[in-house]
Amino acid sequence: MTDTLKSICEQCAHLNSPRLDFIPAQLVRHRDIIIRGLRELVLATSSESEKTVVVLCGILLEAILYTFIWSQQSYIAQRRGSFTFYPEQSLSNYVSIFNRWFSDVLPNAVLPDFVIDYRAIVHINRELQFPPDICGVASRDFLRILDSFLGEISQFPAPE
Amino acid sequence: MGNQLNSQGMSDVAQLNLAEKWKEVKLRALLEDMVEYHKGVYPNGPLALAIWFKKSVQGGEHCLLELFKGIPIDRIVGPTRVSLSWRIDPNEPPFVLIDATSVEFFEQQLASKSPILANYFDRYEALYFDKNLLPDNVLAAFNILTEPAGLIKGWYVTADEYAQTRDLRGLLASHGNSKPHIGLVKMEESQDFENCRGVLNAEIGQKWLPISPSGIVNHTFYNDTLAGRAGYFLFQGGSFYQILKFEIKTAPEYSARLLERSRDDRYPEVYLRAVRASE
Repeated sequence: MTDTLKSICEQCAHLNSPRLDFIPAQLVRHRDIIIRGLRELVLATSSESEKTVVVLCGILLEAILYTFIWSQQSYIAQRRGSFTFYPEQSLSNYVSIFNRWFSDVLPNAVLPDFVIDYRAIVHINRELQFPPDICGVASRDFLRILDSFLGEISQFPAPE
Repeated sequence: MGNQLNSQGMSDVAQLNLAEKWKEVKLRALLEDMVEYHKGVYPNGPLALAIWFKKSVQGGEHCLLELFKGIPIDRIVGPTRVSLSWRIDPNEPPFVLIDATSVEFFEQQLASKSPILANYFDRYEALYFDKNLLPDNVLAAFNILTEPAGLIKGWYVTADEYAQTRDLRGLLASHGNSKPHIGLVKMEESQDFENCRGVLNAEIGQKWLPISPSGIVNHTFYNDTLAGRAGYFLFQGGSFYQILKFEIKTAPEYSARLLERSRDDRYPEVYLRAVRASE
C-alpha cells in the first residue's frame, strides 16, 4: 500500500502554509483564487479523492504559472529582448516559458512534461489512454511536485 | 601607455561582442514570436519545425524554414517576405523570408538527397520543433537530439498493480498505449542480465534529461522504495524490473552518456533486478 494522500499532504509544508510572495500585491483576485484552490486541494487529500487531487493540482499549477509569468514579464523581456504575455495560452506553453527562462535561477523548480499529461487527465479521452490506476500515481506525484514548486518559486518574489 | 591602449582595445571588443550578442537575442525573440503565431495558422496542419537558416545578425533580411504536418503541399512555398514587426508596422525592417512546406514533402526530398534543401543546412538553428510530428530522419538531419543513446522508456508499476495483474502481457496491454513517463540509461549490467543500475530520465521540453537529486524526491516510485515498499519498472519491449534501491552518485563521466550534465555531477542511480513473468 502506497502513502495515503492525506499523509503526503501533511508533509507538504508549502501546500498547507503557502508563502505567495511571488504574487504582486495588486493581484488580489489571483491570490484569492490560488488560496481557495490550495484549501480545496488539502480537503480533497483528506478524503483520498485521487481524481479530484489530480484535477485540482493541474488547475493550481496553471494558476500559479499564469500568475508567476504575468508578474515576471519584465524579467523575461530583459533576458529575451522582448516578451508579451498571452493569457489564452495553454499549460504546455506556460511550462515551456517557465523552464526556458527560470531553469538557471530556479533549477529545482524545473517542471517535467508529464505534468501536462497529468493535467489533461481531466478529459475522459486522455484518462482512457492511461492504465486504470493512473490517478493513484499521478495524484501522489502531482502533490509533491506542486509542493516543491511552490517552495522554490517563493524564493523569487514579485517585483516591487 | 601600451597597456592602457590594449585594455581599452579589449574592452571595445568585449563591448562589440556584447552588442552583437544582444542583437542576436532580440532577433531570436522576434523570430520566435513569429513562429509562435504560425503554430496556429493551419487548424489541421500544426507547425512541426522552424529553422532559422543562413543565420546572421547582420542585414535586414533573415531566413526561416517552416514545416507543417499534413498540409497538402508538394513543393516549397516562398520565400514570403514579412516584417518581423508585422504587428506594429508591416513595412518596418528587419524582415524575414519564409520558406514553408509540409513535413511529408520535406521528408521525401531529404530521402532523395535533393539539392533544393542545401540552403536550409547552412548556419542553421532549430527555433522550434515538435518531435511527435517529425520523422526521425528530419530530426537527425537537423541534429535535434531528443534522447541519449541506449535510453529505454517505460512506466512505474506499483506493488498493488503488479499483485493484481501478475502477468507481463497484461501489464504491457494496460501501459503500452500510454506515453512512457520514465527513461533509463543503463550504466552497468551483470553478465547474466539479472541486475543492472542506471540513471533515470524524464522528458523536459520534449527531451529526455536526467532526473536531478532534488527532482527524484517528487516521484512516487522513489518514495515507495524509501518506505520499503516494492515497486517495479516496465519498459517498452517487455523488460520488467524490481526496484532495489536508489543511490545519489557523483559521476562526472556519466555526462557523456546523457543529454545534459547535472550542475554538480550528481545523479540518482537506480539499482534494478530483472523479474521473470512467472515470479
